Amino acid sequence: MDISTLIDSLHPLEIKVLTTLGLRPSGTALDSEQLAGAAELEASQLSMAVEWLLAKSLITVQTETVTPIVSLTKIGEEYHQTASPIERVLAAAREATGTGKRLTIPDLQSQGGLDPSVVSKAVGRLKKEGVVLIIQGGCIETTGRPSPTAEALRTLLEEIHDSPKELKSFPEAHREVIEDFAVKRGNAKEPFRVDERVARSFILSPDGAGAAAQLLTQGVAEEVSQLTPDLLKDGSWRQTRLRKYTISLRPPRIGTGKKHPYREFLDTVKTKLVSMGFQEMRGALVETEFWDMDALFMPQFHPARDIHDVYFVKEPSHTTAVDEPFLSRVAKVHENGAETGSAGWGYSFDVHRAKRLVLRSQGTAVSARTLAASPHIPGKYFSIARCFRYDQVDATHATDFFQVEGIVLGEDINFRTLLGLLNLFAREVAQAKEVKFLPAYFPFTEPSVEMHVRHPRLGWMELGGAGLFRSEVTLPLGVTVPVIAWGLGLDRMAMVALGIHDIRELFTDNLELIRTTRGLF
Amino acid sequence: MPTITIFKDDLESLLTGEGGVDRGIPMAQLEEWLMLVKGELKGHNPETGELRIELQDSNRPDLWCCEGIARQIRIKQQGRLKPYAFFAKTPTSPHHLIVKPGLEQVRPYVAACTAKGYRVTEKGLAQLIQTQEKLADIFGRKRKTVSIGIYQLRNISFPVTYELVKPDEVRFTPLGMETAMTLSEILMVHPKGLEYGPILAVQSLLPILRDAKAQPLSFPPIINSREIGEVRVGDDELFVEVTGTDLRMVILSLNIFAANLADRGATIEPVEVRYPTSTMLGTRVKTPQDLGKPATIRMKAIEQALGQELGEALVKQALEAYGYDVSAEKGSVKAKLPPYRHDLMHTMDVVEDVAMSRGYAEFTPVMPAQFTVGGLSAIEQLSDRSRELMVGLGFQEIISNILGSPDQYCRGMRLEGTEWGRTVEVDNVMSLSFSCLRQWMLPSLLRIEAASSRAFYPHRLFEAGDVAIPDGTHELGSRTETVVGALIAHATTHFSEIHSCLDVLCYYLGKDYSLEPLQHPSFLEGRAGRILVSGKSVGVIGEVHPEVLERWQISMPVVAFDLNLSQLLS
Repeated sequence: MDISTLIDSLHPLEIKVLTTLGLRPSGTALDSEQLAGAAELEASQLSMAVEWLLAKSLITVQTETVTPIVSLTKIGEEYHQTASPIERVLAAAREATGTGKRLTIPDLQSQGGLDPSVVSKAVGRLKKEGVVLIIQGGCIETTGRPSPTAEALRTLLEEIHDSPKELKSFPEAHREVIEDFAVKRGNAKEPFRVDERVARSFILSPDGAGAAAQLLTQGVAEEVSQLTPDLLKDGSWRQTRLRKYTISLRPPRIGTGKKHPYREFLDTVKTKLVSMGFQEMRGALVETEFWDMDALFMPQFHPARDIHDVYFVKEPSHTTAVDEPFLSRVAKVHENGAETGSAGWGYSFDVHRAKRLVLRSQGTAVSARTLAASPHIPGKYFSIARCFRYDQVDATHATDFFQVEGIVLGEDINFRTLLGLLNLFAREVAQAKEVKFLPAYFPFTEPSVEMHVRHPRLGWMELGGAGLFRSEVTLPLGVTVPVIAWGLGLDRMAMVALGIHDIRELFTDNLELIRTTRGLF
Repeated sequence: MPTITIFKDDLESLLTGEGGVDRGIPMAQLEEWLMLVKGELKGHNPETGELRIELQDSNRPDLWCCEGIARQIRIKQQGRLKPYAFFAKTPTSPHHLIVKPGLEQVRPYVAACTAKGYRVTEKGLAQLIQTQEKLADIFGRKRKTVSIGIYQLRNISFPVTYELVKPDEVRFTPLGMETAMTLSEILMVHPKGLEYGPILAVQSLLPILRDAKAQPLSFPPIINSREIGEVRVGDDELFVEVTGTDLRMVILSLNIFAANLADRGATIEPVEVRYPTSTMLGTRVKTPQDLGKPATIRMKAIEQALGQELGEALVKQALEAYGYDVSAEKGSVKAKLPPYRHDLMHTMDVVEDVAMSRGYAEFTPVMPAQFTVGGLSAIEQLSDRSRELMVGLGFQEIISNILGSPDQYCRGMRLEGTEWGRTVEVDNVMSLSFSCLRQWMLPSLLRIEAASSRAFYPHRLFEAGDVAIPDGTHELGSRTETVVGALIAHATTHFSEIHSCLDVLCYYLGKDYSLEPLQHPSFLEGRAGRILVSGKSVGVIGEVHPEVLERWQISMPVVAFDLNLSQLLS
């Protein structure tokens, strides 16, 4: 890069630092403090400019000096306010000796609210200095001598309290006390802290010297960083030099408006289904057991209806009434099959149980309601329904989750068209070319199929289950054509697309994670 | 859906025989065969040969055991089921089991048989016990409707009596105990008594099975006697009984057990049960017994359902290879289930068996051809439009659980005891964290805000989704409505910043709205409003109350709105 291009790209802060150094005799080194003063910059501005100039090799570090600085810790401030442990021990010992009371180390520990280790250290020190004696019975007595440590500590606390000081400004004896009472790894409860202040001085590099010389001779042109409406209005932008930017730097981060990646995934599924001719169905979060299970020919003694599998609603516990004629028809079908050609389950149907309110446990409840509401024939329907399962929550089980499911009604519906529809789902939803159909069991379909597909990235996986609704389901709800019931298990696909391994992360509360997940599907 | 453990070599030995297979079935072959029984291989230990298999079909208890799985595969291999002679046999001098009056009110039915000539092996015993447990637990609804006992035959003197006794009248040493106990002691002390005792809770007299010498066999459905009712490896003469509340289920369970033992080489001898009053099968009931009746199924029904013309011969062949007894007529087949099955409720059940027997791969998929119009519901369209607008306003969408805690939805929002604080609550609470449904969106947004103080500010969050609002006038006791909630958090945010966003949203949704001052515990007084559209309240907006923020441990000002889209639509 030639010098003039280089100069054009300099930030005003950088120019100030360069010219400050350039005005001094060649080879003059200035430290940060001197530079900030001479260039009239804030410390933060200077440090930015210095980092940029170092990165561009226009200045170099001449010297780097490390100065130990002593300051008071929070504990030190406390000692300054009140007294250090050594002072307190000494005072207590003097008082005891004066009044003739017995004073033991355990006494000191219990009365002062002092840490046992701190007390031991203070007593040890005083004993070493000959200030106290431990006489028979572990009693402490003073000898009357002064304690150099206690006095040094008091002096140091007073001196450093005002402002941190350089370690080397203290006499040797005081430095030793500071070392002894400074915070170290493993011992944070000390009054002093010794930090290292790094001071650097800088000189111009040959390139920097050239740039500084040119800047000084040509004078700093009238330079602006921002094109403004005023510059445009009066045309003065023609006489103005707009500073060139270093555009290779990372931009500041901004928050954006964005859809949630999991919702985005469900949106693509929704769009696919609509494009395949499916009409959306909606249902309620709270359902009756009737629509959630009875209408689906799940007998009332079915294990999945157990208290450990379904969330029951507390208040009101039951609905006032289930729509007729559906309730009586379904009850009869459970009992003896009625006119469906079925033998039924052969038990006595409990109407009260049918009215029990639950949190919707399966999306198929929405389909059951649709069947009873004079659906279009032929018709295709889907819902993406929030469902609730009474389950211990872990990496693969969530208490609430989305079920993608639906129905297809029509005269041409049979086992082979069921397989055809599943093939379509495999291709459109999972981009899978290979499909395997396995026999399956669902209480409300016969025949039932489980579909496994070879996903381009995931390999063989179960994509969903489906079947032809039993006549015991469709006829009581007034539907006389065959009906496919289908459900897709998409959470695994979503989790892979989002790069997560725990189903709970689909609903994560970590905003940073939500903001940074790309969600490419 | 039971999951069972079986051993591969045990399965293989049950598969050998006429038309059988060689040892060392490849796993791929096994998995394919498992399709015949709706079984899924859940685990395989190549060293021990242990297989864990989940059986999906809850109406096929005959498949919940090694013998049943092997049988279904064997039938397919051999093309038909070799009939079990004992179902047809009428023994000349059968053993008797006498049922005394009074059991009608307690546990009315019993079925039994003997099995000789199969020497119980270690693996065989484990399978017997597993089958007994799975049948009683899942098919028998935790022994309520069916429970099973197995005994050493040689210690039993016939006839056996099934009768009621007073709780302290009879003593015996139950399995798992060292000393003799009365029935009431067993109910109070024995682990099985404690577990299954509630089945007999209201009874003043308790059922017992005793032999001709009055030795107790068992106290059904609780526990067997240790003396007679403990089967050991090496035993080769067994007595099996099933008691329960449903005669068909009781007999079916015994049929399954008898077929299993026969498959292992035992000779089954039926037992005649004599009831004091007539049952649906009379007073003298021979068990095991084939209860199946042939059903006539129109070919058209099968072919229509499968979408394929098959013809009588192919259907007959397929059903026979799945264990049915079939005779084909013109235009229909007459099919009868094998005696160990009782799951034929409807023609479609037969149709599925035809498809499974032939293999699903035999059916070429065909696309449904009828034209339908796709589309989204009006509320979903409105919700999607709102979401687009919120994204345009620079908000990050979030998504949350709907099931949460009163702490989140009510107490955290200062709504205790207010109309706004009412939620749909769960009755059978497992964890307080999942015990009520959200009634508005703001808590879901605060949940993220509370966890994200380290994410760079400003935070602009929104969620569109369902809430459940308690409503006594609604048939379900609550209304499910779709709302969009939005939140802004940063050091200098204030009411008008969120108001501007609501303003834009309502403008593009084409809704003229106005704000009316509102006292709401979740918001600062004088800085909160009710959102009104055509005089109807459709939401709230305001600066979130500092005490709410404190309860969520949020140390950043928050402003928010909650707009009910369902109300906007209606």
